[in-house]
Amino acid sequence: MLFLFWAEFKRSWIQLLRYSSEVIGGIIGTTIIFYGLFLSARYIAGPGFQFGDRLDAIIVGYVLWALMLFILGDIAGGLQQEARTGTLEQLFLSPYSAPQVFLMRAFASLTLNLAINLSILLLIMVLTGSRLAFPITLIPPLLAVLMGAYGISFAMGSLALILKQVQQLLSVFQFGLLFLFTAPVETWTGGMRIIGWLLPMAPGAGLLRDVMARGMDLNAQALALALLNGALYLVVGLALFRWSEQETKRQGKLSGY
Amino acid sequence: MHILETHQLKKTYRSRGKTLAAVRDVSLSIAAAEVLAFLGPNGAGKTTTIKMIAGLILPDSGSVRIAGCDPHRDSRALKLIGAVLEGNRNLYWRLTPSENLEYFGVLRGLTPRVARQRARDLLERFDLGDKRRALVQTLSRGMQQKLAIAVALIHDPQLLLLDEPTLGLDVEATESVKRLVREIAAEGRAILLTTHQLDIAEELSDRVAIINQGTVVVEEPTSELIRQFSEATYRIELEHPLDAERTNKLRSLGAVVEPKQIYLRDPDLLYTVVDGLRPLPILRVERDQASLRDIFLTLVRQGRLPELSNSGGEVRSGQLH
Ligand SMILES: Nc1ncnc2c1ncn2[C@@H]1O[C@H](COP(=O)(O)OP(=O)(O)O)[C@@H](O)[C@H]1O
Ligand SMILES: [Mg+2]
Repeated sequence: MLFLFWAEFKRSWIQLLRYSSEVIGGIIGTTIIFYGLFLSARYIAGPGFQFGDRLDAIIVGYVLWALMLFILGDIAGGLQQEARTGTLEQLFLSPYSAPQVFLMRAFASLTLNLAINLSILLLIMVLTGSRLAFPITLIPPLLAVLMGAYGISFAMGSLALILKQVQQLLSVFQFGLLFLFTAPVETWTGGMRIIGWLLPMAPGAGLLRDVMARGMDLNAQALALALLNGALYLVVGLALFRWSEQETKRQGKLSGY
Repeated sequence: MHILETHQLKKTYRSRGKTLAAVRDVSLSIAAAEVLAFLGPNGAGKTTTIKMIAGLILPDSGSVRIAGCDPHRDSRALKLIGAVLEGNRNLYWRLTPSENLEYFGVLRGLTPRVARQRARDLLERFDLGDKRRALVQTLSRGMQQKLAIAVALIHDPQLLLLDEPTLGLDVEATESVKRLVREIAAEGRAILLTTHQLDIAEELSDRVAIINQGTVVVEEPTSELIRQFSEATYRIELEHPLDAERTNKLRSLGAVVEPKQIYLRDPDLLYTVVDGLRPLPILRVERDQASLRDIFLTLVRQGRLPELSNSGGEVRSGQLH
């Protein structure tokens, strides 16, 4: 497993460095879109308006969304592309199981995705003058968000395996995700509050906004909920993936017949 | 000792309300150092069978055993299989040959150190040494195919599956792939290769299994099969379709008659037939190499294969789905 991780790690960095212009394009594009939104919001609000920690909260949501999109692209997008080009079947010939291979892939490119998204975050902070905090307490809620992100990506990957053509579905889905990451679920009350706990990744994202934008401490109970939420989505995503692997092998459609 | 054994494999595809019996009954076995050619027209079920053997398609019924292990249940069986599947993308095009070999080596369960060593040896042996650092997408189709075979051998499998290994290759690349196949078999590996070209099967295999519409109709040592079909055959091509009266007469002489073509198995009859055609315009008379189509026609005549409405039209070459 360690060897496999290392091989995947090497593969993703080689491809990144070799095609670095694509990555740099991604970083700049993601930053510019946010900057454009920021400028128009400032225009509407009028000069002299102070965004305060609301801007910071939105930045956290936006960058998490970008991170989610990279992970989704890695897993679901990668599956779809490899089915099209024909390397996917070679992966399934490995004595490692498919979830093992794809999980190792996801972990291996995590360092890379985190590096990319940290650059986006720093760029946005410079452009908007936002002051986000980076306390050590951001790690557990980030972990919760990542587990959820992997779960959702594996679920979408299962769809990609079964349906093959999920490009359009993925792009619609991206906007739904933006909602999940920017909706201030941590401020919801009553019945909505429970829905907020159940939405994928939303509790973790809320906690991250608390610690990074509002300078709050971690609430142990909320953290436990966020981690539970993440773990649940991860388990469901992996189970779906296993099921879709069997189903695709039954239909003879691994290669995208 | 057989490395591969399949027993009554069956696969029916159901999609959009239609069902298609792609593989109806395929039982095969291959021993070490043996090359079995799986020969049949497009759509006969070759790729489906090979993927069932590799664990990529789940059979409806029947069994696959690789050195006694079931690849659908036991991942140890996968360590014994190397496969180059149809089409030209068994590799990462954005990586170099060494990077591909090393990556797939680890994916197949080698340690990075062993993978690196094996990669170096294989590149040397497959004459790809000087392309070691070129991106795969810049290599010729022939070199990509050689590399794909090298990748399939990285973990030293006992069974190599090759699906249409020479399809789309130029003459030179075809020759070098053929040479490699012979060498690999000589090392003691079992090879199953599919093809719809008789000449490939003839040159490379020890045994031929002919598959048609999902069923193995003939399985024989290649030399035996070729002997059966290698009597001189003539093919006469006409400009216009033949009339019914002449058709009947030629059939009674033992010729196989299609509207604009006549096949003769008995060379002594050639002049009798040509006389009988006078004064119709003849486009061409040629000594035919036995082709897959001839074999099918003969099999139909011998009653070993049911008459097919499309027995001629199905045997197209150089075509992928
Ligand atoms: N996944 C699939 N779903 C439905 N039909 C399929 C699928 N794969 C192959 N087929 C059909 O099954 C038949 C056998 O295909 P295949 O095994 O690829 O034949 P060959 O490799 O001999 O050309 C063909 O008619 C093909 O169209
Ligand atoms: Mg095929």
